[in-house]
Amino acid sequence: MDPGSDSDSLDEGVLTVRGRNKAARAKGVDPHNDKGKAKAKEQAYAWEANFTRSWDTVQEDEGGSLQGAVEELMARGRRRRLLAPAAAIRRTIIRHLILLLDLSSAMMDRDMRPTRFDLTLEYAREFITEWFDQNPLGQVGVVGMRGGIGERIGEMSGNPQDVLKSLSERHKLEPAGEPSLQNAIEMARSSMSHLPTHSSREILIVFGSLTTVDPGNIYDTLQSCIKEKIRISLVALAAEMKICRELCDKTGGQFGVAMNEGHFKDLIFELIPPPAQRAVARATGGGTTNPAADLMMMGFPTRLPDTAPPALCVCHAELRPAGFLCPRCGAKICDVPTDCDVCGLMIVSSPHLARSYHHLFPVKPYIPISSLDGAPKPTKHCHACSQPFRAQATASLADGMSSLGRYRCPDCSNDFCTDCDVFVHDVVHCCPGCEK
Amino acid sequence: MNNASHLSLILDLSPSQWHLSAAPSNTHPLPFKTFLSHVLTFLNSHIAQMHENSLAVFGALPGKSIMLYSSSDVSGGPEVPADSNAYRPFKLMNSIVARNIEAELELLETMGDEPPVALVGALTKALCYINRITHTTSGSSAEDSAVAADPRILILSVSPDLSSSYIPIMNSIFSAQKNKIIIDVCKVYGADTVFLQQAAHLTGGSYIDLERRDALLQYLVMSFLPPPTMRQFIAVPKQDKVDFRAACFCHKNIVDIGFVCSVCLSIFCSPVPVCSTCRTKFPMKTLQRLNASRPAVPSANGSANGTPRPPSKPATPMSASLR
Repeated sequence: MDPGSDSDSLDEGVLTVRGRNKAARAKGVDPHNDKGKAKAKEQAYAWEANFTRSWDTVQEDEGGSLQGAVEELMARGRRRRLLAPAAAIRRTIIRHLILLLDLSSAMMDRDMRPTRFDLTLEYAREFITEWFDQNPLGQVGVVGMRGGIGERIGEMSGNPQDVLKSLSERHKLEPAGEPSLQNAIEMARSSMSHLPTHSSREILIVFGSLTTVDPGNIYDTLQSCIKEKIRISLVALAAEMKICRELCDKTGGQFGVAMNEGHFKDLIFELIPPPAQRAVARATGGGTTNPAADLMMMGFPTRLPDTAPPALCVCHAELRPAGFLCPRCGAKICDVPTDCDVCGLMIVSSPHLARSYHHLFPVKPYIPISSLDGAPKPTKHCHACSQPFRAQATASLADGMSSLGRYRCPDCSNDFCTDCDVFVHDVVHCCPGCEK
Repeated sequence: MNNASHLSLILDLSPSQWHLSAAPSNTHPLPFKTFLSHVLTFLNSHIAQMHENSLAVFGALPGKSIMLYSSSDVSGGPEVPADSNAYRPFKLMNSIVARNIEAELELLETMGDEPPVALVGALTKALCYINRITHTTSGSSAEDSAVAADPRILILSVSPDLSSSYIPIMNSIFSAQKNKIIIDVCKVYGADTVFLQQAAHLTGGSYIDLERRDALLQYLVMSFLPPPTMRQFIAVPKQDKVDFRAACFCHKNIVDIGFVCSVCLSIFCSPVPVCSTCRTKFPMKTLQRLNASRPAVPSANGSANGTPRPPSKPATPMSASLR
């Protein structure tokens, strides 16, 4: 039994190290304020700083165990959840994003393995998959910049497969020439100008070059982006440029310079969760009517199985067995979400909507229980997974952790174990005791 | 292929539904006692398949959910008399499950009005339990991590959809999807439930509505006994049609055309001036436009009753002419 438990704690120790690494790296990110920059100045250059080994930061306790470090890490996670603002933030749920890829010759640099270009393509594909997972109602388009012009690579689409397909052919995207930020942003802007006001418009730029060749004044482009409420975020692969930072700061986006491969990924994946809607939109529209909000009529279709008799679909006019039936006009559609071609009804499947509900109705944080004096008859098992609780309280615990490993739901006052506390809040989003 | 599999079974123990199910007016009446003996035989065959197979049984009772049996913490139970004619693990499992159900049903007797069954509670408990066993085994050693791979949940449902539990059910489905847990559903009695259909569809499980309810065991063994890895080689019955309708937030009706708030995606069955979830006010113009364009027929029967409509409707003349 002993060796088993030993390897167990070792495993988690490795996790801890990784977590710290991430935290250390995250310091390099500075979303639209200059604090991080100033900090970086104090530290001079990264290569001048003392090299810290990540495994040195994990401290063993007297017994030589890593348990303390692990528990501290978990406590930190708990505290972060408790600190999350209780007041509601309005997040944009229907998102539109243009992914703007630098395809200039600067992308062939090998400072990121194998090349900046290959790495960008790889991460872009992962990003698209994850993005659609978290923003099921969003749409993504892809624009490339090479040879001094903007180039439309993928049309705005709500289907991840379409977007991935546009990124799949590497030879069509081969980097060449100089990039032009202005041309590319103008192209992205024009393809988003028709979108309804309640959706978000975002541009994510992956920029590897240190120059941009523009036909006109890029500040005019910036002004029109601000006016149209387009949020520009930029991840630079080389170094920080003034115009890049300005684009992000003025439009409320995030700016970051990737330090290495992992950091690059962190930077672009940070943009996946839906952003909080800007207060500006509310301030101008607040009061009686809010132009940023609207009521939309949506239809929930019925899915036909693969074994159904083939019928013509309205979108491609092809004979297919599977498909969805529009609830209003009964037309057959190949894929959802979409607008019905016959009656114009917006058709979504209800799971698409439901996927974002846990943002709306989060589970209340559980209260750590450190003594059983108050309760008349304490339960012996975790309410969710029936794991027995430990009877003895453990000493030396971080803030926000229960010495008995018990966490109580404020609504149904059932007790849960540490694992279930994390699982319920991070994955299930539904309390097993109160069933909501 | 030789991986052990974990099965979490959720029994819907609604006394009133089981009373209806046993009524002789049904074409194939199925009393609870027969049902239980079929289920126990099924569970025995699951355990018999492989020594490492694990099992947990959850009960969804009116207003509460409990764990009836789990193969990992068996030791605490009281003694079961030895029987030379029965394989001991079977006997042990059968008697624990039967006794726990009996004890719980006895407790129920005192209650007057029957609240709806706590299916969500049972489902989330099953998820937490699976999370626990997969966590503890994967940490200990590489060999053990193969054990209890392939978790799946089987729901034997008799109660109708409870529209107020739409959001928690969907949340549970998504977490199951995320953890690659298959949810199988067997509708033993009553009309199709839209939510459980979606659960099976989204997690890749099968949803089966019994035709011959007296042949329950055969259905269970033929469709639900093979572990997920085996299913790619055999033709497991899948449901033919999935209904993607949702429940509205205002009256908990199940709607096929709804009105959705762009801020929080709350669904309403009729145009409302203010979103009840996020208190956003909608522009007057939109309301007028939507009220004008609103289809008269679907909204009339959409809000007429609080219970789900039978899902046979959506084949309209238009689709028929397209075929």
